[in-house]
Parts: sequence; structure tokens; C-alpha cells
Amino acid sequence: MTALSIAGLRKNYGGVTAVDGIDLDIPQGCVFGLLGPNGAGKSTTFKCVLGLIRASAGRVLFAGAPISPVAFERIAYVPECSVLYDWMSVREHIGYMQSSFSGFDPKRARELLAQLGVGDENKRVRALSKGMRTATAVALAFARRVDLLLLDEPTSGLDPVNQRTVLNLIINEAAQGTTVVFSSHQIGQVERAAERIAVMQRGRIVLDGVVDDLKAGRKIVEGILPSDDFSLNGFSSDARIGRLERNGRIVRAFVTDRPDEVAAQMSALGAQGLRVVDLSLEDIFLDAVAPQAATASVVEEV
Amino acid sequence: MPVIFTVDPRSGIPIYLQIVEQVKRSVALGLLAPGEQLPTVKQLALDLTVNPNTVARAYRDLEHDAVIETASGRGSFVRANGSADAASIAAGRDVARGEIDSAVRTAKSLGLGRDAVTDLFDNALDRWLPEES
Repeated sequence: MTALSIAGLRKNYGGVTAVDGIDLDIPQGCVFGLLGPNGAGKSTTFKCVLGLIRASAGRVLFAGAPISPVAFERIAYVPECSVLYDWMSVREHIGYMQSSFSGFDPKRARELLAQLGVGDENKRVRALSKGMRTATAVALAFARRVDLLLLDEPTSGLDPVNQRTVLNLIINEAAQGTTVVFSSHQIGQVERAAERIAVMQRGRIVLDGVVDDLKAGRKIVEGILPSDDFSLNGFSSDARIGRLERNGRIVRAFVTDRPDEVAAQMSALGAQGLRVVDLSLEDIFLDAVAPQAATASVVEEV
Repeated sequence: MPVIFTVDPRSGIPIYLQIVEQVKRSVALGLLAPGEQLPTVKQLALDLTVNPNTVARAYRDLEHDAVIETASGRGSFVRANGSADAASIAAGRDVARGEIDSAVRTAKSLGLGRDAVTDLFDNALDRWLPEES
């Protein structure tokens, strides 16, 4: 079942297009990682999905229906910039959440705050460090019983121990069937916690899929050609090859499908020293946001 | 649960395959005994900080390869049917097959022919598995 369905989502700010036609279907119980460089449109997407800013076009369905105020009982959102009130204490925030959301569990909130090292409830938010503010916002969100968690950079500013704690909170929610969508700059974290990912660039999704499938299919085939002027024209329009890099006799092909066949074909042409190299998600991400990646092209390196 | 698995998300090898490989190795080495219970999907997901579906996928592969079996409601166990060592031998063979396959592929990519590879294998066999005279 689809928990969150986004179709044709677009957001223009004056002449600038922040989100440029996004389509995503996120299954229930899935942990979905949203990756992308700064300014790619991830935060704007979160806000448009929730209706916090009005989308210029597109449709968003949560559990099959448009998101209404009633739905906010079943959705928790942690924005990139803290929404906590500077002048309120942590204790007052717990009270505020309790009066705002019926599914909020203050006991669970206190457990999570202690686990994340926010010990003193009497502290006002203005006295908390950036990391502690993030930890407080995350603890308050996870203390609610919801069907969908939207987390915009939930680990930013956290120390490594708290980052791991938050990832495990996400995993724990997923094991209970909650759908989690989170963005992060830390690809290693996304890779651990997320089952599916989408990579955004300039408001568009340039790559999406199941993490393990993306890694299984994508390889670099590397080899040494017989001569400097050896023609690779046969490969430049090959659908299996996303990008071909050449430096003298050394050729590197970013292959998206059936790497062994590509290696065998190159070998048949006389290429030597062929290697099929595994790509990490970071390599795949960097390749997806590289300007050359859009079309197959031969890049002559000097 | 004496066996500690680890995963390296930076590696290009999908995480579920890393788990499959480590469980097979542990079974082959006897670190996991036939009939021994594996952690639940959720527990292993939290221990390794990886997505629960990734662990579930690894367990499905291990079931398919007859290394483990899952009794609904009771958990997953290292297979114990047949001889006590059957699971261990099968798991060891799976791991070794992967390594040998990759070694032959490397040799081929370096331009070695069938005869050269056969020689190398004979040498390795003489060294590690000499025939008893």
C-alpha cells in the first residue's frame, strides 16, 4: 500500500523553480532517504507535501487522501530549522505537545530526551546548543504515535553517538510499520537506514530506487585499450553505459546494467586488464549529480 | 548470541549480501551451530543499524540457499536436518564458490588463459590440499 503519493509536484518562487515536477510513490512501512546537494529542493519538497507552503502544481496523497488538518494527528514533521520556541523550556514543550496531539506520550518523550542527553527539562530552548535543539525536536516527534514521519536533516548538528541513536529510532519505527521519509547529507547514514532513496538535483529527481538494487546493478568497468586512438564509438550510445571516461589508453565506463557483458565486449575488442569495480552509494550519488551524467557522452580527459 | 556481524555501508557490496556472506561464514566455521537461533530481524537491524527490510532480504536469501529455516512465530534457525554438518558444508561451499569465481574472473581480466589458470589452481591445491600418499 502506498503511504505517500506525490505526482507532478512543482514550486516556483517568482522566476525560480525550486521543485520541478516530482513524482514519488512511497510504500507503507518504507524508510525513504532523500539525498541531494544544498539547494536541490529537498526542504521545499517536505513543506509542499505538508501544505506548509502552497505548491504551484501537483498532487499529494497521504494514505490515498489529500492531506487535511485531521491528517496531522497521524503525521510528525521535524523541519530543518528548529521550530521550538526560544523562550519556552523543554518541560513546557512537552506540555504543549501533549495538549496539541492526542497520540503524544510524555513518558516516552522523557525517555527519548534522556537517551539523547537532554537531561534538564527546565532549560529554556535558547540555552540549548544547536545539537541539543535538534535532539529535543526529534525526541518530541518520536514520542508521538503516527503513521508517517517526515524528518528534514534529523541528524544535523548531532554528535556521532546521538546520530546513531536517531538512526536506530528510525529503524525501530520502521520495524513497527511506520513510514519514514528523511533527508540527510550523510550518505552513509542514508545507506544504513533507508531501503529506498531518491537523489534530487535542481528540483528534479535524477535517480531513485532500492539502495541494494542500485548498488548491485551499477559498476565501473575499467580497462586498458590497445592504442591511444582506439575508437569507442560502439559504446557511446550503449544504453547500459551511463558515462564513458577516457584518459589515453585507460577507459572507465559507468555501467548501470549487466557490467559483466560490457566487460566481455570490451575484452573481445582487445581491451586488457579489465576490472569490474563495485560502486559505493556515495560514488553512485556523485555520478548522479555530475553534470555529464544526464546523457551518455565520451569525456576526453587531459 | 556469540557471533557479532558487522556491515560496511561504504563498501560497494549491498548490505544484505554482506549479511548473507557473514552468516554463511559463521555457519561454515561452526560459530553458528545447526539448530542455533539467529537474532530476530528487528534485533539484528538495530544491532547493525540497518534497515529491517535489508535484514529480512538477507534472511530470505539464506532460507533460499537452505542455510537457515524460519518457523513462523518462533524465529530463524540454522538448518539442522540431514547430517549435523550438512548446513555447515553447504554454507562453506557457497562462500568458497564466490571466492573462486572472483579469482578466476580477476585472472581472466588480467589476460590469463585457461591453462595458466589451471596451473595456478594446481599449485594452490598442492599447497593447501595435498593428496594423501
